[in-house]
Amino acid sequence: MIRLENVSKVYKGEVHALRNASVDIQKGEFVFLVGASGSGKSTFIRLLNKEEEPTDGRIYVAGKDIAQLNSWKVPYLRRNIGCVFQDFKLLPNKTVFENVAFALEVIGRPGHVVKSQVPAILELVGLSKKIENFPDELSGGEQQRVSIARAFVNRPLILLADEPTGNLDPATSVGIMRLLDRINRTGTTVVMATHDRGIVDTMRRRVIELDRGNIIRDQSRGVYE
Amino acid sequence: MALKINYVARETGSNLWRNISLTVASMLTVAVSLSLFGGAQIIYHGIGNATARWKGGIEFIVFMNPTANDDQLASVRKALESSPEVRKVEFVDKTAAYEEFRTLFARQPELLDAVDQNAMPPSFKVAPASSDADVISALGKQFENDPGVREVVFAFETVRTMQRFSQYVRWGILGVSVVLMVAALMLILNTIRMAMFARRREIEVMKLVGATNWFIRVPFMLEGLIQGVLGAFVAMGTTWVLKRVFDTWLSNNQDLRIFQGFAISSGQLVSTWVLLLFFGCLVGTLGSGLAVSRYLDV
Repeated sequence: MIRLENVSKVYKGEVHALRNASVDIQKGEFVFLVGASGSGKSTFIRLLNKEEEPTDGRIYVAGKDIAQLNSWKVPYLRRNIGCVFQDFKLLPNKTVFENVAFALEVIGRPGHVVKSQVPAILELVGLSKKIENFPDELSGGEQQRVSIARAFVNRPLILLADEPTGNLDPATSVGIMRLLDRINRTGTTVVMATHDRGIVDTMRRRVIELDRGNIIRDQSRGVYE
Repeated sequence: MALKINYVARETGSNLWRNISLTVASMLTVAVSLSLFGGAQIIYHGIGNATARWKGGIEFIVFMNPTANDDQLASVRKALESSPEVRKVEFVDKTAAYEEFRTLFARQPELLDAVDQNAMPPSFKVAPASSDADVISALGKQFENDPGVREVVFAFETVRTMQRFSQYVRWGILGVSVVLMVAALMLILNTIRMAMFARRREIEVMKLVGATNWFIRVPFMLEGLIQGVLGAFVAMGTTWVLKRVFDTWLSNNQDLRIFQGFAISSGQLVSTWVLLLFFGCLVGTLGSGLAVSRYLDV
């Protein structure tokens, strides 16, 4: 599903965010990216949805070499990839429903699809009762659920999560992880960058550890360190 | 990917409304610059109409009597054509003279009714080889007493002055309207940039969930287009008012009846409008298009 071949990313000619990284991630896998701040986790994720271009190497997503992808095709790549962030990136002037519906509207889904899909996904993330609320009326955990709903409403093949529990307390984080686990069980490949030792150690999934841009460990059913 | 019309309409409308002051500013700048441009066009047409018969270096016109016979016409023509001092002669027969009369006096139907084609004098429009006023005057006067000749009319010095003056005015106004047009372009650019800045989070999310560039771009470009078109509409109104004022002034002032030729035809007004609309659309779309490609970074 995702393959990196000798990928390097250098910022401004001197900062090596990623060095000669090669990784193969199968469909349906759940992968943790761990490492200190600045180790290259975010760069790894941003390379996958072509927010960044690799300096060197090849990246295949869903069988396509995304370095060769025309810029006008990038939106279609991103429709196969859901994204979840530490800071949620919800639109404050839209309700929960509208925030999720927005993701379908901008890719041109017809109105009846929006009307049926959005309540269904909000039920999945457990927010059926908050459908008309605005983001600032929700707790951090609820906001992250909305952002997961938005990322998943389009049923993407891949879900990228950049420290999704970074702003949440441990109890709330567990809820979010259960949700991501559930999404993973539907066959969606999940790649999640995290600092959260407890989560990694509890889940026991594949762990890729980065240190100053180098992959120093790739372990199935691994722990934080 | 299909752009949904109601989505585009909603986005464009809310953008325009959210930045209402900038929208109005851009629209007015387009309106003012296009009004000046349109005014220049109207003046240009007016002067053109007034001096139409003196185009192409024609310095005097030999008007024949309406009753002049073919022999008289032929002899004047022969004299003119064989004269080395004449560069070009153009014969205007009764039919053509009547056409010209109808155009010039289109605003005086009572005059048109009173005159029929047979009463029109045929004439020779003469472009002399020399540009010396005395030589031209002497040349023209030679024909004054020929049989069948009614009178010889010389281009007034005022017509010449008017033509020159109109060129200066026209270039001046054109220059100012170009400068204003550029200002309008930059204002529209800025309006769109502000709109995009206000919505940068939304645009970021749109890009992340896979909206195409055109999907993001179209509402902004439409916004610029609307500003340009609204500005053009205002300018069209201005030129219409200008034409009305011109017409009223000309037909109310007896002393200016001679200048009836200034009257702008509806066709000329419409062609000016088409130009205004075209430039309005161009400036609006260009401004927003530039802003989008510069700030969207898609």
